Amino acid sequence: MTYVELQATSHFSFLRGVSSPQELFETAAALGYPALGITDRNTVGGLVRALVAAEATGTRLIAGCRLDLVDGQSLLVWPEDRAGWSRLCRLLTLGKSRADRKKGEKGQCFLHWEDVDAHAQGLVAALVPDKADDATAQVLGLVADIFGDRAHLALNLRRRPGDAVRLYELDRMSRRFGITSLATGDVLYHAADKRRLQDVVTAIRHTCTIDELGFRRERHADRHLKDAAEMERRFADYPQAVRATAELAERCTFSLRELSYQYPDEVVMSGRTPQQALEQMSWAALRARFPDGVPDAYGRTLTHELTLVGKLGYAPYFLTVHSIVQYACSQGILCQGRGSAANSVICFVLGITSIDPVRTELLFERFISEARNEPPDIDVDFEHQRREEVIQWIYETYGRDRAAITAVVSRYRTRGAVREVGKALGLTTDVTEALVKQVWGWSREDVGEAHAQAANLDSGDHRLALTLDLARQLIGTPRHLSQHPGGFVLTRDRLDDLVPIEPAAMADRQVIEWEKDDIAELDFMKVDVLALGMLSCLHRAFDLIERHKGDRVTLGNLPDDDPAVFGMIQRADTIGVFQIESRAQMSMLPRLKPREFYDLVIQVAIVRPGPIQGDMVHPYLRRREGKEAVSFPSRQLEAVLGRTLGVPLFQEQAMKVAIVCAGFTPEEADQLRRAMATFKFTGGVTHFRDKLINGMIASGYAEEFAERTFKQIEGFGSYGFPESHAASFARIVYASCWVKHHHPDVFCAALLNSQPMGFYAPAQIVRDAREHGVDVRPVCINRSRWDTTLEEQRGRYRAVRLGLRLVKGLANIHVALIVAAREEGPFASVEDVWLRSGVPVAALERIADADGFACLGVDRRQALWRLKALGEAPLPLFAAADAREEGREPVVTLTSITDGGEVVADYHATSLSLRAHPVSFLRAELDRLKVRRCGDLARIRNGARIEVAGVVLIRQRPGAGNAIFMTIEDETGIANIIIWLRLFEAQRQIAMGCSMIGVKGTLQREGEVIHIIADRLQDHSPLLLTVGSRDRPGSDGALKLRSRDFH
Amino acid sequence: MQVASACPLAQAQGVHPGMALARARLIADLDIRPADPEADRHALTRLALMAARRWTPRAGLSGPDGLWLDLAGSAHLFGGEQAFCDRVVRFCARIGLTARIAVAGTYGAAHALARHGAAPVILCPNGRETERIAPLPLDALRLDSAMLGTAHRFGIERVGDLFAMPRAPLQRRLGRGALIRLDQALGRVEEPFDPVLPEERPFIRLNLVEPISTPEAIRTVIGDLVTGLARQLLERGCGARKLMLTCSRVDGEDQRVSIALARASRDPAHLLRLVTMKVEEIEPGWGIEAMAMTAVRIEPLAPEAVAGALSGTDPVADLAVLIDRLATRLGSSCLSKSCAVQSDVPERSVRSVTPLEEVADWPSDWPRPVWLLSPPEPVDQVLASLPDRPPARFRWRGRTHIITHADGPERIYGEWWKRPSEKHRARDYFQVEDKDGARFWLFRRGDGVDPASGDLSWYIHGVFG
Repeated sequence: MTYVELQATSHFSFLRGVSSPQELFETAAALGYPALGITDRNTVGGLVRALVAAEATGTRLIAGCRLDLVDGQSLLVWPEDRAGWSRLCRLLTLGKSRADRKKGEKGQCFLHWEDVDAHAQGLVAALVPDKADDATAQVLGLVADIFGDRAHLALNLRRRPGDAVRLYELDRMSRRFGITSLATGDVLYHAADKRRLQDVVTAIRHTCTIDELGFRRERHADRHLKDAAEMERRFADYPQAVRATAELAERCTFSLRELSYQYPDEVVMSGRTPQQALEQMSWAALRARFPDGVPDAYGRTLTHELTLVGKLGYAPYFLTVHSIVQYACSQGILCQGRGSAANSVICFVLGITSIDPVRTELLFERFISEARNEPPDIDVDFEHQRREEVIQWIYETYGRDRAAITAVVSRYRTRGAVREVGKALGLTTDVTEALVKQVWGWSREDVGEAHAQAANLDSGDHRLALTLDLARQLIGTPRHLSQHPGGFVLTRDRLDDLVPIEPAAMADRQVIEWEKDDIAELDFMKVDVLALGMLSCLHRAFDLIERHKGDRVTLGNLPDDDPAVFGMIQRADTIGVFQIESRAQMSMLPRLKPREFYDLVIQVAIVRPGPIQGDMVHPYLRRREGKEAVSFPSRQLEAVLGRTLGVPLFQEQAMKVAIVCAGFTPEEADQLRRAMATFKFTGGVTHFRDKLINGMIASGYAEEFAERTFKQIEGFGSYGFPESHAASFARIVYASCWVKHHHPDVFCAALLNSQPMGFYAPAQIVRDAREHGVDVRPVCINRSRWDTTLEEQRGRYRAVRLGLRLVKGLANIHVALIVAAREEGPFASVEDVWLRSGVPVAALERIADADGFACLGVDRRQALWRLKALGEAPLPLFAAADAREEGREPVVTLTSITDGGEVVADYHATSLSLRAHPVSFLRAELDRLKVRRCGDLARIRNGARIEVAGVVLIRQRPGAGNAIFMTIEDETGIANIIIWLRLFEAQRQIAMGCSMIGVKGTLQREGEVIHIIADRLQDHSPLLLTVGSRDRPGSDGALKLRSRDFH
Repeated sequence: MQVASACPLAQAQGVHPGMALARARLIADLDIRPADPEADRHALTRLALMAARRWTPRAGLSGPDGLWLDLAGSAHLFGGEQAFCDRVVRFCARIGLTARIAVAGTYGAAHALARHGAAPVILCPNGRETERIAPLPLDALRLDSAMLGTAHRFGIERVGDLFAMPRAPLQRRLGRGALIRLDQALGRVEEPFDPVLPEERPFIRLNLVEPISTPEAIRTVIGDLVTGLARQLLERGCGARKLMLTCSRVDGEDQRVSIALARASRDPAHLLRLVTMKVEEIEPGWGIEAMAMTAVRIEPLAPEAVAGALSGTDPVADLAVLIDRLATRLGSSCLSKSCAVQSDVPERSVRSVTPLEEVADWPSDWPRPVWLLSPPEPVDQVLASLPDRPPARFRWRGRTHIITHADGPERIYGEWWKRPSEKHRARDYFQVEDKDGARFWLFRRGDGVDPASGDLSWYIHGVFG
């Protein structure tokens, strides 16, 4: 019997291991191991990943854990069966429940020997000893008592002085207690060259530099995976310890696959089976929807769906989601299902989704198929401000021992990796910061010498080169576990029999150790309770419409074919509209010209990295614009791709093409779809390349056509939409556009009250509203509330009064006090506000900074002057006396602020200004530099070389591609700039860092879409600094603008 | 990290104080040094002390980089204020500093003009402060940042803007401090001044009736000096770390000897013994007519309890006394102590420290040789099987040793973060005993499996006692 490695640490032992389960299993397979045991420290978080890796490589996973007890002893345990696994989970849950967050013990586990004793059944254990002394003997006796014949003593070869003697004495000791010795390798990483990274993460864990680490490093040598022959050679003196490993491997037959899927019981049942309950409810709902008789198509589809659901036993799933949605609707919380659930009539009639799949001809098999043996995946969006209520209801209804949130493993991204590794290697913070600044925000892009040189650092420096190398290796390694925002796992059995639970960051929440993908892998029931800001915004908009205009509008009763709304969309007049406000979307709209609802569905799906990379956008557009003939090589393809003019745009279409034209079985087609959906698993779709192409050729298609089709499908590798998902979103898009077109005043107010959200800042939202004829009024102490509100009719629309929430640094409670005091009558003076509201002077100063006292006839400076004379809360006795004394103060004239200063102060206080745009003050200089206005771009001919300048609003680099998109704004409008990668690298500091930029380049026009292709950038930030006070730039007068950076 | 100050060349390129260092790096190639405010203050204090000796009796520090001088009564000694200022500027230039000077009737006005005035040398006639400081920015008045911020928000930018404003409202909003500063600058209120005081060190001098030149006589005088000095030290509550003895000879030349102590002491016997060791270095020449002793460096020293007969325990021997005596005789650079470094690589596991420094204990878990060879010496004719068996024999310095017992290997990796060449290196150490019972510490370069880890040559690194 050959040796089996039973003790391997993956990087889920945070900041101890450095190898992923994938790497460990691949190495083990290459070395010929039949099985590998993973024992992470007090966690089983990595075991599902390990299971996937094991199944992929053919090496069996032996699930295990290393328990680090409170008294310092360590025990390796491996469950031998399902019952043992349950005990392990309960044990870990117990230990983690003792962690006190307030003491900073998040994620830690506290276990004592009594706990182990209580949970020992079904677990095979091995003590990890240090020296062969009395203390070890004592513990060994304890282990023998607790585990009986399942007890072992782990022997490691440490390559330290006295090893041979130590092993000999340990072995003798184990014999004395009747315990078997077990040879293990105490593996910390899969390959020997990971040693350096392991030292670095140890330094990170101890928050010191590698030079100061000293003996806290792992000093025992040879911690990589070695092959069985080598291990047997090393333990040649202990053949029984080697044999014991193989025996243990045979004994522990537990596989995580035994944790079958779990559906919670539903209250709805009351004497019926879940299937019966579902059928009754669905038919009743369908009849209610069509009181004059159910059309054949719907009836047939529903029967088909219910039969399939019954066969596969998925009824409980629908019932669960239905009850959650029912609860939300009963509370007036806006919600909508998304994802492939929208392909189901059952979901539609039960109100889970709002897309009619029959009318839009969606494929049910995308949602559930017989071949695929996994539960359906329903995500529901709730309005984000009320989502918490839904979550609490779920906990109450299902119980805290059967509901928990899934975890999210935060991993090192490029910036974090560079910072931490740099600090550990002793680089000063200014060097690491300089490097980090060159890296794009949240990316996982590699960091290399180019970054070092761009930051003006010497990339030949030894430590710097090491930092770059090791940071690259660290990217993607887990750091710690945090909770997922809304993914819930619901089970029938007790959760802690299946997976360990730990208390979460927020009070009363618990998190399991596994992530969403792990849950899906094991077929547990999960529901995503997601938050969608736009739903909150729509809810507000609908409320405002009802209050001020009397109409009761809902997502359901909007007429979805209003040509005026589509006209607005075609003009790309969509700032603030969910999903179609990005620069990429807006440049596509005038070309696509959506005319009906399905066009919107296409629009939402088409402008994503997937279709762009798959070369699908252009053919579709060409066909739509009539530049290319729409033709289909066969009738089958026409049936599948007719609605999208012969170009596959959706996941379902890719599936159907594979089935219909290449002879894939539905199962294989689904595998193809999954390979496309899990974009993390790169290179997945290529497996199917040959099969698809050959299949299509066999069916009679041309090879060139087959290859082109495959390339398009491969482009889905990063991100393709399911059709139903696009349809759900399109619904919301349409509703938002409807509101924006018919009630721009309401749209503006609702959007401002839902910030932060979306692509644009309040300044742009306000500007857009004004351009549409809405009168926007500034913040006012006598008229504004916390939220932005509508005032009386002014022309076509109502006037919009900006709310006090826009004033930086102002607390809600203070505004509430002001509004309450105002009930008795409007304020007469600055002092009056202070006296009647009781709000601290500091808060009133914020309002003064925002020029909120203008309605009382005092400008900023005067208001501040008056406020600075006031003390803390006024004493009632002195209130009257103070009032008299006011009159006795001599009058002081203050210098008035420049106009530029007013604008700067507006931006400081509220991030927007209703007076003027900052760039308007610089127009004279810009004209002298021959800079054109952004608003004039439409009149300039295609191909002209021009220069524009403006403040940077947005930077975007979609899909880490070759182009960086930038949007700049001046007082006349916005301009969209394209910066190719080479220019970006050459002028990286300016492109990433400046607040106002000048761009020299060529104007490119395609129809109504205008871009400037940049060939030279200039930093105008110093010019911007002068806006505040024209004669000297000072830090006080500096205009601070923050742009939003996206991938 | 921020830029604290920048030279004119850097400032011309756009680097200015307060800027983030990372941003500054992007602008230009910079020579970056860490700021050391302690050392700066120290240097400034010395400059002030020098000013107090040479230019005016009352000199004080102004901020982290300036001096205040009270010129009352001393300007005329240098030929007038203008001449004095020019002289100071020239002096500063000689020692590498760029100076700006302003002379005015009040410190506040002088401060404002020196730091914010246009010219490097400004003379403001008495009584004209108001008009001179009016155009200066408000920072010139030494207001704190909160006051400055508030004032800027009111649009008050220049000092002159404050003159016209009524005082009570101003005080209410900016605080009393602002008005005090204004009044100090205009001379309406006195400003206290804090001059530096040069320190005096313990010093004793004895003039001799007749010149002496014999060692015994010198020793006697030294004894008197030491007694007197010890008393001064006791009064101050200090001990001496460094003493200097100056012997003034009849022919005008001085002979100096100095002693240093590892720990502060004012024990007359100890000091006497140390100084006496150096008597041979003194050349009396025609005779010494005066001797002086200074405690050049002193440290606070608490009173010590006298061990009386009642305490019963023997006094603990003081290591410092021994060290002082050895150091005085041999020189302090000869004395050092070894202590452990937390490193696996044996060459780096020991370092030298000063004798009295506190150190951690030596790690006791693994045996290490008493004698470490530096550098390790190669051995040859080694018989050992790879990858991890100890050698059966080896030859060192001409003698062959047959091994009877061995332990190992202990695998020690190179410290990859120190040098790139150590990235892959490993050494396998073996503790071996030959048939005569002698024990050695051998190592082989390389782990026997990966050629990058070493060339499989053998060395001896130490001998066990």
